[in-house]
Amino acid sequence: MTQVSTAFEVYQFMSEKNILIAFTGYFDHLVTTSLLKNIKNKLSVIQSATGIDKKVYNVLVESIENISKYASSRNPHQNIAMLLLCKSDDHFTVITGNHILNNDIPALKEKLDKVAGLSLIELKKMYREQMLSKRTHENSAGLGIIDIAIKSDNQIKYDFKQLTELTSFYLFQTEINIQK
Amino acid sequence: MDSLIIEATEDSPKIIFDTVSNRFIISGESRPENAGKFYTPVINWIVNYEETLFSRKQETKDDSALVFIFKLDYFNSTSAKYIMDVLLIIKKFVDLGYKINIEWHYDKRDDDMLDAGNEFSDTVDLKFDFIEY
Repeated sequence: MTQVSTAFEVYQFMSEKNILIAFTGYFDHLVTTSLLKNIKNKLSVIQSATGIDKKVYNVLVESIENISKYASSRNPHQNIAMLLLCKSDDHFTVITGNHILNNDIPALKEKLDKVAGLSLIELKKMYREQMLSKRTHENSAGLGIIDIAIKSDNQIKYDFKQLTELTSFYLFQTEINIQK
Repeated sequence: MDSLIIEATEDSPKIIFDTVSNRFIISGESRPENAGKFYTPVINWIVNYEETLFSRKQETKDDSALVFIFKLDYFNSTSAKYIMDVLLIIKKFVDLGYKINIEWHYDKRDDDMLDAGNEFSDTVDLKFDFIEY
């Protein structure tokens, strides 16, 4: 059982790291909608002339939607995921974490590395190509990642933590600079 | 053909396609759970409207401009593909000789929404009027 002291540590950790939102659990469209509503309210408080709240909201939605794109019916934890939104003096950080089949990692990694290595002009070119291409499951997943990369000046990072022989935990992070 | 009116929800935009005023407005937030289910009837409606436009032009010689108005707070990347489909149909109408104005409204703090409009405009090669709010 979780002790009161552990709960306090969680609180302290979240305060120190300026975590505005921390959620872990079952994600579906309904949960996402209520989370986004809550986040929108929080962001509206820090609404600024530069529209950073809009940019953060954008990245959040695409990040959350990416979670479900890698869900697999063969994965027992397919919709169990994590969302973190943190704010420091000069940037916001959005992190998602979700279970993924090890078999799906190479293709995803290839896609992420490709996007991470592109300039803004190349990203926009890729976005346009995907936009005009036929609608498939795979393509639309790519479009979300490209969109996040464009909106964050390509400050994306990822990691895979192996959990079992079959699955890993996939972490995806985006930083969004606060322009002053 | 009847006007098409769909009320906004928390995750889907409001659609007002008014056949009397010939103003076609898509506004609000767009990240429906099933974008295909939401946009397919909207897109089919526009495709079918061409027939009405054609007969109107023949019978009444009315060729006043149609106005398509995009006033979106947010759209996800899946919706972007459907917005592109809408624009490609508009482009087809323009190529058929119909007069069409496109307004792209954006929050003045939201550079990304302005960029998105420019990107769409370039990609389909149609002129947009940009209007900040």
